[in-house]
Amino acid sequence: MSTLNAAIDASASALAAERARIEVAVSNLANAESTRAPDGRPYRRRDVVLSATPVETFDAVLGRAGAIGVAVAGIVEDRAPARQRYEPSHPDADAEGFVSVPNVDPAEEMVDMVSAARAYQANLTAISLVRDLLQRALELGRG
Amino acid sequence: MAIEQLIAGVAGGAAPPAATGRPAAGQGFEQSLGRLVTSVEGTNADANQAVSRMLDGSGDVHDAMIALQRADLTLQFTVQVRNKLVQAYQDIMRMPV
Repeated sequence: MSTLNAAIDASASALAAERARIEVAVSNLANAESTRAPDGRPYRRRDVVLSATPVETFDAVLGRAGAIGVAVAGIVEDRAPARQRYEPSHPDADAEGFVSVPNVDPAEEMVDMVSAARAYQANLTAISLVRDLLQRALELGRG
Repeated sequence: MAIEQLIAGVAGGAAPPAATGRPAAGQGFEQSLGRLVTSVEGTNADANQAVSRMLDGSGDVHDAMIALQRADLTLQFTVQVRNKLVQAYQDIMRMPV
């Protein structure tokens, strides 16, 4: 069952990656109005960087891996400048009365989240397809 | 021999050279079956670990579910091999001499 194991491993790595994307999108949404992060600056929008990684199998060692998984290469900050909002009464306002609010666009985060959720579902479907194929193959032994 | 290679490949990931050669006394199918049972135990232990990781919050639900499915499929495969073995034994025992 080694080949199909590799397929399931690749899909499982994608599930973990999509979960990371959803987590980052959710934290961006949650911090859309956070003007203070632990480093003192306003929160900056974060993004997940994904990289293709071969699944660790016997085939991969031999250099003929069919299944390539995905891994989270890192979570980087968006370099777009913070939005400025005029709000003199805000405690974090500067001398001119402008507050730096995070460079988060809630609509964009929602779209990211939906796309990550759909990708998660697609990978779940792929896993259940492989599982069904294996079970069909086992039925060859019956009767 | 083909069956031995198949099972050795499934149970161990890669068939060792000893299993592909002529089976020595006490080796061969018996050994392959033993390794199959070992792999069932191994996948069961993996599934247990994945479920407890999920329960204490350090693992993902999908990892636990995949480990459970893997254990289930390995067990089903072993049961099929055992069924075939018993069936072959019974066929031979019923053979009129």
